Amino acid sequence: MLANFLIGLREGLEAALVVGILVAYLVRLNRRELLPALWTGVAIAVGASLAFGAALTFGPQGLSFEAQEAVGGILSILTVGLVTWMIFWMARTARHLKGDLQHELDDAVGTGRRAVLVVALLAVGREGLETALFLWAGAQATGRGSAGPLVGAALGLGLAVALGWAMYKGSIHLDLRKFFGVTGVFLVLIAAGVLSYGVHDLQEAGILPGINNLAFDVSSSVPPTSWYGTLLKGIFNFSPETTWLQAVVWVLYVVPVMWSFVRIAWAKPRKGAPARPQPSAVTAA
Amino acid sequence: MPSAARAAAALGSGLVVLVAVTGCVSNAAPEATSTTGAARIAVTSSADACDLSTSTAPSGTLTFTVSNTGSDVTEFYLYAADGKQVVGEVENIGPGLSRDLVVTAKPGTYVAACKPGMAGDGIRHDVTVTDSGTPVPTTGARASSRPPRRSAVPPVRSLLTAAGGPFRGEPLFA
Repeated sequence: MLANFLIGLREGLEAALVVGILVAYLVRLNRRELLPALWTGVAIAVGASLAFGAALTFGPQGLSFEAQEAVGGILSILTVGLVTWMIFWMARTARHLKGDLQHELDDAVGTGRRAVLVVALLAVGREGLETALFLWAGAQATGRGSAGPLVGAALGLGLAVALGWAMYKGSIHLDLRKFFGVTGVFLVLIAAGVLSYGVHDLQEAGILPGINNLAFDVSSSVPPTSWYGTLLKGIFNFSPETTWLQAVVWVLYVVPVMWSFVRIAWAKPRKGAPARPQPSAVTAA
Repeated sequence: MPSAARAAAALGSGLVVLVAVTGCVSNAAPEATSTTGAARIAVTSSADACDLSTSTAPSGTLTFTVSNTGSDVTEFYLYAADGKQVVGEVENIGPGLSRDLVVTAKPGTYVAACKPGMAGDGIRHDVTVTDSGTPVPTTGARASSRPPRRSAVPPVRSLLTAAGGPFRGEPLFA
């Protein structure tokens, strides 16, 4: 039960934290009217994952390994694109806050319902199919008379959601500038992990090379089944056995994105001067 | 930026449809029908053993049903003969769970591995895939034979199958 609990926690944690941050943004920016779009995205992702997972588990057809890896890998990379865009949206917002220019702030957060919906959809749907297949396997075990695995998995997912909620509650009282600065840095690290994970999926599917060229293997000191291994994997997608391609892609993402974010969001405001117009090139990669 | 979101949404839904039409393989693959090139192999993964119900299987679609009887989370891998190149993998098999790995295998020797604790090389056994006579696509592709039609196929499923007609067996990425 504990092992299944940790799987549920790991699979749900990153999505819950991203959604928690997104909710906190919308609330802090007085854009509560976008919350229904966000919850719609979450609901579509959960519903589609469970339905697709059930069809594959109980229906006449299963999903081939290559197809599942390709879905996981490509959705991961799409998610990184969207989250990166969100990070810079945040960075611009933080900068505008310093100028106290409410109308420019409104421009910066003049983000469509659809964008919010899609970010939430991808954040949850990315690993949704794998989680759904895991849960339906638990349901099958329950059908064979052993409810422990499903209960453990559900409790783990429940804790993940609770931590996402705690993230929202904790960050909601931060000073607004600090809130954007800190959550942005956190999101850069989450997105980098998702990118590295997507690369690993595509390596396993044979779409990208180098699955056996390990940069490091610390699985003896950070066992994937331990609670800290679970948290590192669940939040930052840290893999104790990381390939060179994963490591290189992670660094190539973190260094420029973190640098740009810190430069934009943490720059000192120029006293008395209006904030500079936004460079239009600041978009998702 | 909503245009980027729209593009992502379109791409995402396109991907789902693509996988739906190319990535599905028959679940109805009991060992009794193994002459058609579809077989089910039961794998029992415990703390210190990895038992396969058979070590030979006919080429085509292979379904490994991996049951975890140990107390740790396990993973199951199917490697090529070199023991390194991953042919297929299923993870998150918690204690008490049973999950399927579906692969399309050409004739040859493979290495099956259970990895209780999700690390290391795992407990390995050779698996021999014999020529069933069913043509198997070269790489990354699904079985070319259509799954047997069932009487109570859900409408969506039959729609997908119908829509997938010309694409079945095509690799997802050429």
